[in-house]
Amino acid sequence: MSWQAKPRLISTPAPDSRAKPGPAAVAVSSANARVSNGLKEFLWLLSDSTQGRILDLGQVSQATLTFFIEKGFRVSTEDLLRAWKEFLAAEEENFRKAPVGDHENVSPAMFADKFLASDLQYPAEHFHGVLAWDIFDYLDAQLLPKVMDRLYTMLRPGGAVLSLFHSKTPERFCRYRIADPQTIELLPASTLSVHARVFQNREILDIFGKFRSSKTFVGRDQVREGLFLK
Amino acid sequence: MWNKSAEAKPSPQAADTSVPVIPAPVANAQQTQPVSTPTTPPVAQVPPPVSVPTASASNGTTTIAAGLKISGEISGSSDLYIDGETQGKVRLPNARVTVGPNGRVQADIEAREIIIEGTVQGNLKAGERLHLGAASRVQGSVLTPRFAIEDGARLRGKVEMVRIGGSQSASSVGTTADPSKAKAMSASGKDE
Repeated sequence: MSWQAKPRLISTPAPDSRAKPGPAAVAVSSANARVSNGLKEFLWLLSDSTQGRILDLGQVSQATLTFFIEKGFRVSTEDLLRAWKEFLAAEEENFRKAPVGDHENVSPAMFADKFLASDLQYPAEHFHGVLAWDIFDYLDAQLLPKVMDRLYTMLRPGGAVLSLFHSKTPERFCRYRIADPQTIELLPASTLSVHARVFQNREILDIFGKFRSSKTFVGRDQVREGLFLK
Repeated sequence: MWNKSAEAKPSPQAADTSVPVIPAPVANAQQTQPVSTPTTPPVAQVPPPVSVPTASASNGTTTIAAGLKISGEISGSSDLYIDGETQGKVRLPNARVTVGPNGRVQADIEAREIIIEGTVQGNLKAGERLHLGAASRVQGSVLTPRFAIEDGARLRGKVEMVRIGGSQSASSVGTTADPSKAKAMSASGKDE
C-alpha cells in the first residue's frame, strides 16, 4: 500500500455542478444524513470511467441506483449481509436435518467457502467501484478475508472500494443510500446482523493490505470512511 | 392499476365455471401448459375444464392463480397477472406483467411494464417501466428505461437503463473529464 501515490493534478475534487446538493438533498433529514468526503472522493475517482460498473453490497436503493445510472454507470446490487444471513439459516436447517455423525467436518471456514461458491460471483476486474458501506464491521472473521480477496479480484486496476467503519458499536443497524454527491443517508433498519467488531486503524489497513493505496476520513459522528484503491 | 390486478384474480366460482386455462387473446402456438391437453380446436385452443382455480382472463388480463404451475413460453398481447409458479419465458412486449405476492417465477420476463411483488429468478426487460414492490425478490439483470424500487425490495443483479423503445444504453450524463487527470489518492490533510 502506498501513501505516496501518484500526485493528483487537481488537488481537490473538481467543484463542478454535480457536486452541489440537488433537490434530493433538501428532502434528506439532517438527522439521518452525513456529509461524506469519502463519497466525494469515490465519485471523483470514478469520474473518468464512462459506462463504468458499480457494485453495491448494501440493500438495493432506488436513490443510489438512480444516482449512478444517471451518470451512465451500470450498477449491480448484492445485499451481502442478507445473503450471508440467509445462507447461514439454510445451513443451520440442513445441519439439523442431517443424520448424527455428519457434523464432524463442519467449520466456519467451510461455510465461508461454500457461501462464496454461489455468491459474489463476478468476472475478474469487472467493477470500477464497490460500495461496501459498513458490511465489514458485520462479517464473520472467517468470511471477511475471503470476501476481501474476492473484491480485490473483481475490481479493475484503479478501481476503488468505499467503506465505512464504526468507531464504537453502533446504536442501531442502518442501511445506506446516496442522497447527493456528498451526502449519504442512513436508514435505520431492523437488525440484520450483529455488529462483530470495531476495527483499529491498523487492522483496516491490514485487511486492505493488497490494495495500492488508501485514504480515510473521519466524520463528525466518528464513523471512519475508507477509500481503497486497487 | 392495483385494483385492476385484484379484480383479475379468479374467485372459486369463476374456476367452477370452467374458464379456459388460456384465454383467446393470449392463445398462441408457442404457449405451453402442462394442464392442457389438445382437443379439437375451434379458433383458439380451449383446454378441458380443470377442477382447481388455474388461469382466467378478465378485463384483458390473464391470471395465473396461486396453486398453478406453468412451464414453457408465454407470449401474446394480453396483460398477465402471475400469482402461481411459472418457469420458462414470458414475452409480452406490448403488455403488462404483474407478479403477485404469491408469484414465483423462474423465467426471463419481457414486457412493456413489469410489476413485481413476489419472487423472480430471471432477467427482466421492460419497455416502459419496472416496479419492484417492498416484498419483491428479484435475482437477475434488469433493463428498463424507468424503474421504481420500494424500500425493502431485494434485487440481486445488474441494472441498466435503456431508452424507451429498447435501444440500449441510456442515460449518459456522463462523467468525465480531463483524461490526463491522474487518478491516485494522495495523503492530504483530511487523512487520519
